Amino acid sequence: MGKDKVGKVMVLGGGIAGVQAALDLAELGFYVYLVEKKASIGGVMAQLDKTFPTNDCSI
Amino acid sequence: MEAGRSPNIEIITLAELKELSGKAGHFKAKLFIKPRYVDPQKCTACGLCTTYCPREVIDEYNEGLVYTKAARIDYPQAIPTTYYLDAKACLRMQHESCQLCANVCGPNAIVFDQLPEEREIEVGAVVLTLGFGRIPQEVLEKYGYGKYPDVMTSMEIERMTCASGPTEGEIIRPSDFTHPQRIAFLQCIGSRDVTCDNGYCSSVCCMYAMKEASVVKEHLPEAQIDLFFMDIRTQGKGFDEAFNRAVEKYGFGIIYARVPKIDQVGRKLALTYVTEDGKSHREFYDMVVLSVGLDAPKDAENLASILGIELNHYGFAQTRTSSPLETNVPGIFVAGAFQGPKDIPESVVQAQGVAARCSELLAEVRGEEAILKEFPPEDEELEALEPRVGVFVCHCGVNIASVVDVEDVTRYAANLPGVVHAEDVLYSCSQDALNDLVKKIKEHRLNRVVIAACSPRTHEPLFQETLKEAGLNPALIEMANIRDQCSWVHYFDPQAATAKAKDQVRMAVAKALRLKPLETQKVKVTPSALVIGGGAAGLQAALSIAEQGYEVHLVERERELGGNLRRVTGLLSGEDPQKILETLIKQVESHKRIRVYKETTVENISGYVGNFTSTLRSQAGSEIVNHGVVIIATGGKEHRPALWGLGEEDKILTQLDLEAELAGKASKIARARSIVMIQCVGSRGQDLKYCSKLCCQQAVKNALRLKKRYPKKDVYVLYGNMRTYGFSEDAYREAREAGVIFLRFTPQKRPELIKKGKSLYVKHYDALLGEDLLIPADVLVLSVGIAPGDNEELSKIIKAPLTSDGFFLEAHVKLMPVELAVDGVYVCGLAHGPKPLDETLAQARAAAAKATIPLAKGYVEVAPIVSRVDQQKCIGCGICADLCPYGAIQMIKVGKRKKAETITASCKGCGICASHCPVFAIEMGGFTDEAILAQIEAFGDFAEKESQEEAEKAA
Amino acid sequence: MNFNPKILSFFCHWCCYAAADSAGVARYKYPPNNRVVRVMCTGRIDPLFIVEAFRAGADGVLVGG
Repeated sequence: MGKDKVGKVMVLGGGIAGVQAALDLAELGFYVYLVEKKASIGGVMAQLDKTFPTNDCSI
Repeated sequence: MEAGRSPNIEIITLAELKELSGKAGHFKAKLFIKPRYVDPQKCTACGLCTTYCPREVIDEYNEGLVYTKAARIDYPQAIPTTYYLDAKACLRMQHESCQLCANVCGPNAIVFDQLPEEREIEVGAVVLTLGFGRIPQEVLEKYGYGKYPDVMTSMEIERMTCASGPTEGEIIRPSDFTHPQRIAFLQCIGSRDVTCDNGYCSSVCCMYAMKEASVVKEHLPEAQIDLFFMDIRTQGKGFDEAFNRAVEKYGFGIIYARVPKIDQVGRKLALTYVTEDGKSHREFYDMVVLSVGLDAPKDAENLASILGIELNHYGFAQTRTSSPLETNVPGIFVAGAFQGPKDIPESVVQAQGVAARCSELLAEVRGEEAILKEFPPEDEELEALEPRVGVFVCHCGVNIASVVDVEDVTRYAANLPGVVHAEDVLYSCSQDALNDLVKKIKEHRLNRVVIAACSPRTHEPLFQETLKEAGLNPALIEMANIRDQCSWVHYFDPQAATAKAKDQVRMAVAKALRLKPLETQKVKVTPSALVIGGGAAGLQAALSIAEQGYEVHLVERERELGGNLRRVTGLLSGEDPQKILETLIKQVESHKRIRVYKETTVENISGYVGNFTSTLRSQAGSEIVNHGVVIIATGGKEHRPALWGLGEEDKILTQLDLEAELAGKASKIARARSIVMIQCVGSRGQDLKYCSKLCCQQAVKNALRLKKRYPKKDVYVLYGNMRTYGFSEDAYREAREAGVIFLRFTPQKRPELIKKGKSLYVKHYDALLGEDLLIPADVLVLSVGIAPGDNEELSKIIKAPLTSDGFFLEAHVKLMPVELAVDGVYVCGLAHGPKPLDETLAQARAAAAKATIPLAKGYVEVAPIVSRVDQQKCIGCGICADLCPYGAIQMIKVGKRKKAETITASCKGCGICASHCPVFAIEMGGFTDEAILAQIEAFGDFAEKESQEEAEKAA
Repeated sequence: MNFNPKILSFFCHWCCYAAADSAGVARYKYPPNNRVVRVMCTGRIDPLFIVEAFRAGADGVLVGG
């Protein structure tokens, strides 16, 4: 392998885990494809009204 | 959600993976992308298509509680902020009729004939974050869902309680639209239920039920809410405390019972259930909420066959305790709920951990594909001129222009002092308009820009970048929010909205005149890390950073590496913990980028992110090391309370003592006939307030090991709530089937130790019998929990706060679970809170990811909104340094006097220092006293003008 | 007489300013009497600002954070 590695990562699923992984990977110097089957990212967390315990809104 | 502006993240929506070939380091993936029918380049998210679309469809985002349109966006903050057409519902696509959306769309973004697309991409690694699926409808139907309208799911309630949701936050019964007076929350719907093949615990429902019940109670203060539990599983950090607080504050009824049977009687729902004392009950409720669990993701099986990854018997990704983020295929990793049901902080931890894992694999090609944007040099000559303000007032299609008289505002702006150019723009954020903005800046020699449009929160970065392209400092822009906070909320009064828009523009211009170019500071980073603590967390974190390509100093207080893990001799997964530890230690000790310091302590840490200097003390003397980041992995310790005669008798052990026995000759237990385990000894309200999270798993594990080795011995486990969350529920079931006897006690009636001669007995109150039992305990095993290590001193050295329980307090409980309030310092493992090994290892990698970010960049970039101390004015009182929540101000000696100085790399720009400085010696970049006072002054003009008008009217 | 108060609002960038934006996205209605100054944190607000706001003619000052 060695030189033929690619500095890109594919993240499948655009929920909170996918988004967080993509953000950190980008910060670590990689190019990220964030692939989501729906029309927008955010996953279930975007549906939550408030999150415990700070009751921050989740978006 | 904060994602999506990075030039290095390409979001591909409506896409599915079709094929994957290649191997770790170099995969080829084939994607199938469904058409969106809206051109994202052109769509301005004005929403007209939705307004005019005649086709109503059920709104899935709102859990089917309301209707939406075929042309839509799922929710206003969605990313990408582009609308789409639902082909299955669209009249044009289904029946060749209607094209209203295309007709009303200003920027002509609708493309009916868009075709699906196939795309091939090459990547070095694949991360699976599929999330979780829904429990099938037929499982919910067992509880009357779909049959009785007032039986609702937790997700439906979630949308209902949302102020911008379908009912605007009103809680109503779907059957008759009245407010429910009595509400029941039922737990474990589709979880811990072998009849629907979901034997596992979904881990999150107990907590969210409490949250939803609290929110419902806020909306309906008079409602009476009961929660039905088998066990209350609130094992996360700080969860018990929050749960108990909510129960006390809102007066929830807590009922221990198996999931009740539901039927409808008249307009009420009747619940029939049996409580622990064996009594049968039948109670009536107005609404029943099903706390629905997390299913395996729907597409997991299909994907597993494409990728060749293994799933566990529930359909989640199969991983191991030693490598919780790895699938069986090298280069394919997993994080979040797809790895097993988990809450948001756990998902975030795994996501960050998986980023580190990829970064280890691809360290040598880091940065090769990353995109860096370049900008022309700043035109300093132009910036130095007297302020020449350009005002751009946005129509935002009709979003602003239909309410605010944009032309009028533009005319008004043109006459304001300092303004040399004013114009109105249809969509100021469109690429055309941005190009035009650059042209106009050059043409009119503008050196200050005011954009009157939407919110700076969403759009300022975009305009700042455009300023950079035009050769201006990005700090020279000010936005007036005349959409989100004006036209959208004052649409009923266009005149007043226009007046407000003028005022906001005038205030923005006043501020713009006082804006100064600010330099984005870059602070160089020492490319190495200090990891404090050589247990599982520290070892894994150190190894990850080293594998990612950076130097690590690993400090361990003891003579040997390994920490608490050295005493663990078995794991539920069947893996050998000592082998895991041995491998880790071997890798760490032989790594060329890791230097291990044993029998060493950290005496002092000074500096800030990127540039720390620490003094390490060992018997040999002290040594000074420089490093860019710090990871705290100092662990915790076995809590050994003076309860139950621990330490007084040979026959009384802790779970860890028992593990040692089980790994050796087991001389202490070999002759015992009856072994009793007591949970929560010293925890959950005894001398430790919190739940130690892992003792239930540990007790089940050890009970099973006992039963396997000695099938004839009686094993009892006395517990408060059995917290075998996630897949460890399987082991709990297995233990019961193997004959381990589990007995629940209440906090009011904890079991007691009774001594009769040389024999020990445990007195336990049995609710079903209604009397005390005396259980012989030839060996007594105490689940003692985990106490914090000696964190206090370190917390003072590093200036990072602890929780009231003595663990390190993370920067944000949900979204920043491994960062501390001090930049450049991260935490993982038991120093953060009690947790089992797999969670510790994932969190160690998460900390390693966060710590490596500044190391990989090589610099820390500081947004120019930081504070600056004018040392001429500073009197050295130190108020600012005391108040700064980020430890970003230090007192230094200048000549003979003390002066304050901002550590720019740590400053967050909150301005607390500036507002408290008694001599106005502190300036905030972009928010100077002068600028804010100018805004206030400009606001005054409005007040004066209006009162004048009023006076005229009165006259 | 119809009292039409003039309110100067100081909103924290991270919370109240964001909330005011969300109110817009949700198309809530509220009276158009306030004018907004955005700050990065309400900790930034010097008591002087509040005094100045009243001096400039504000009938009320709203600090949201």
